[in-house]
Amino acid sequence: MLEIKDLDVAYGYAKVLQSVSLNLEKGQMAFLIGRNGAGKTTLLKTIIGLLKPQKGSILYQRQEITGLPTEDLYSKGLRYVAQEKKVFGNLTVQENIEIAAFASGEPLDVALGKVISIYPKLKDFLKIKAGQLSGGQRQILLVGRALVGEPRLLLIDEPTQGLAAIVIEEIVNILSSLKEKISAIIVEQNLAMMNRLADRLYILKEGKVVKAITDKSQIKQTEELEVFL
Amino acid sequence: MENYFKRKSGEDLPNSIGMFSRDRGIIGLILIAIFFLLATPLLSTHRVTDFMIFCIFAMSFDLLYGYMGRLSFGHMLYLGTGAYGCGLFINYISGNFLLAIFIGVVFAGLLAMILGLITVRATGACFALINLAFNHIGFFLVLSPLRGITRGEDGFGVSPSKLGFLNLSSRPAMFVFVLICLLLVFYFLRKLTSSPYGILIRSIKEDETRVRFLGYNTFLYKWLTFVIAGGIAGLAGVLTALNYNFVNPNAMDVNGNVGVVFACLIGGSGHLYGAIIGGMIYMVISNFLPIYIYRWEMFLGFSLLIIVFRFRMGVWGYLQKFFDYLERGGVVSRFLKREAI
Amino acid sequence: MIYTIVYGLTIGAILYFISIGFSLTFGTMRVINFAHTITYTIGVYILITLVNFLKWHFHFGVLFAILTVIPIGYLIERFIIRRLYGESLDYTFIATFAIALIGVDAIKWIWGVRPYPISDPIGSYITLWGLSLPTYRILIVVIAILLFFALNLFFKKTIVGKIVIAALEDKDGVRCLGINVNKYFSIVFVLGSALAALGGVLYAPMSSVHPYMGLSILLLSFAVIIVGGMGNLNGTFISAFTLGMVMSITARYWSQGAETMVFIVMATVLIFRPIDI
Repeated sequence: MLEIKDLDVAYGYAKVLQSVSLNLEKGQMAFLIGRNGAGKTTLLKTIIGLLKPQKGSILYQRQEITGLPTEDLYSKGLRYVAQEKKVFGNLTVQENIEIAAFASGEPLDVALGKVISIYPKLKDFLKIKAGQLSGGQRQILLVGRALVGEPRLLLIDEPTQGLAAIVIEEIVNILSSLKEKISAIIVEQNLAMMNRLADRLYILKEGKVVKAITDKSQIKQTEELEVFL
Repeated sequence: MENYFKRKSGEDLPNSIGMFSRDRGIIGLILIAIFFLLATPLLSTHRVTDFMIFCIFAMSFDLLYGYMGRLSFGHMLYLGTGAYGCGLFINYISGNFLLAIFIGVVFAGLLAMILGLITVRATGACFALINLAFNHIGFFLVLSPLRGITRGEDGFGVSPSKLGFLNLSSRPAMFVFVLICLLLVFYFLRKLTSSPYGILIRSIKEDETRVRFLGYNTFLYKWLTFVIAGGIAGLAGVLTALNYNFVNPNAMDVNGNVGVVFACLIGGSGHLYGAIIGGMIYMVISNFLPIYIYRWEMFLGFSLLIIVFRFRMGVWGYLQKFFDYLERGGVVSRFLKREAI
Repeated sequence: MIYTIVYGLTIGAILYFISIGFSLTFGTMRVINFAHTITYTIGVYILITLVNFLKWHFHFGVLFAILTVIPIGYLIERFIIRRLYGESLDYTFIATFAIALIGVDAIKWIWGVRPYPISDPIGSYITLWGLSLPTYRILIVVIAILLFFALNLFFKKTIVGKIVIAALEDKDGVRCLGINVNKYFSIVFVLGSALAALGGVLYAPMSSVHPYMGLSILLLSFAVIIVGGMGNLNGTFISAFTLGMVMSITARYWSQGAETMVFIVMATVLIFRPIDI
């Protein structure tokens, strides 16, 4: 599905990623963990084309996508859900979904139906400005927005940051219901969530992959991992 | 945290510190002095003095733009403040020009201290336009509400009295005086920009948020740099007033800013030599070309476009590349020789 | 006093026309477009040529001037701003400034430096509350208010408008939804240029027309967007009229200080409002 080889990314003089490699099979969910500044967000932004790598290649479904513009990756099924729950706060929930439906060419009611099916409560909020939703609702709207069209690979940055346990549970349920159809790379600090969903685990430190666990049964040892958070 | 700066200094500094190591620094000062001395018979002493003053101005602008990455379109305000501060002091209080220089620089510095509190919080084009707006106000103030003392559009004459053996009304004395000022400013800025402080402001140019996260009060550094740049621009203004023995609102003209931007870019921003080379290029062009080129502004506009699209490194950038190439060539040939032996 | 208010409203309306494009280009692209001065000035000069020399009717002159400015705006966006997009914003600023220099000189070349007068195209007065007020100025204010509602409709109801509103907030978010924002930015840019030209041609009969007229107007509209908030449509509207009133009230007591007072207001706002730009 996705194959990253020897990726180098730098901001000006500061190298943020150094020869990062990563693999993901279809239908799998990979988790990235590591401290702040380890380069997790940079890696996701590079995959989605918001940053240009200095070196290395990204293969997606055996096609080279390195350096392609973000807009073109959308039609290939890549979706990026940024951190900090950035919805379009001045637009209503429905308009948020409308914009997502615009480029995918999906009719608005199909798109709305898709989002509502993963989170029925959103039905009552369609006419409300997205900026007024709670943090959890915004996060779910973002995931829902990414599901419009035909997504194949989700890149999700810190989906549970600052959310209550019940909401996290809800998000985990949504993601595990998608698991058969969609692959994902998720940046996460919440190890409990990782235990339930992860098929692969990559630990980043100072811009390098220091540990990669590709065997699902090996992932459960949480105490060991906490060192890296 | 340390790593960030190490990485920076590792890649950025060899060029500059290497070039500007102590011996080379003094050689640089001597070369600059020789360059301007040689230029005098070609261009006349008065003109070269004028050019050197502009180079001082360009260096102060470069500290702000080239080193800290803040493009000001209102730097003439400080030049004008220096000129008016000095001129008014000489006219109304005392003819002692050393005191007048001091007053002019302090005036410009004080103004930069006050306005800097507002301006340095902005970046990019906002910084440019806020400064331009202040420059506009300053120009308007000297032109009309303060007409009583500045004589508005007509301006006023400035005649400093002799001070012992120093008589600035003689052209060669003025030339030497300005040359010394230029060398002092160059030396001071070189020390400043290669110090840890200089590295810090360059890091602000690269990525201010990061520097702030490392625990530095970036506001303070930006403000200080703005004040230093304002003060040096003030010095350039003072010298302009003394060189022409005359001050008028042209010293604060908003349209003058494009000249220094042009100079800084064509010379190569972020290098003091670049500022001097650019300053000379701009002054030579603006002094001699308008005779042949009717559409001067159009010429400037097209040149700026070419610089922005095709010539970003500036003259000094290309010279440096050339030096690097020579040096590398040297290494290669030495290597080859050793192989042969 | 009524005269002062009407004058203030007129100036406010003109400032609104010019600032809107400025504010939108800044809000979406983070680009300050100095070439705005030139689209504004060229619009006015085209109007003068048509009305003063070719004796066209004023309305057609206005229409034609705006239509001519649209391709100019497009060319600037396509070949200058878009090529520098994603690089240092300072270069974009310098490049647009260079365009402004070239444009001013071109105007001097074609039309000369001599200021042109252009007469009030309506010339009649309406009587309100026992005062006779120039119809033309009232009309400008009415157009500004209509434009405000039209723009609001455009940004609230059309998908293009919605995409621009979304991009004002989170440009990368829009790109991640597969939408090529650059295309929408050029629409915004051209719209802004056309509105600047509209402001210019409507203001021409009340001001003197000379090649450098763009600079002070540009700085004034910059003050408008600083006070009103970058990319904030309603804020721009309110701030344009507020600063218009500031200008007319200042001018009543100290005619030369009107512009300076606007910058003082701007500086005051900058002191109290943090700007992270």
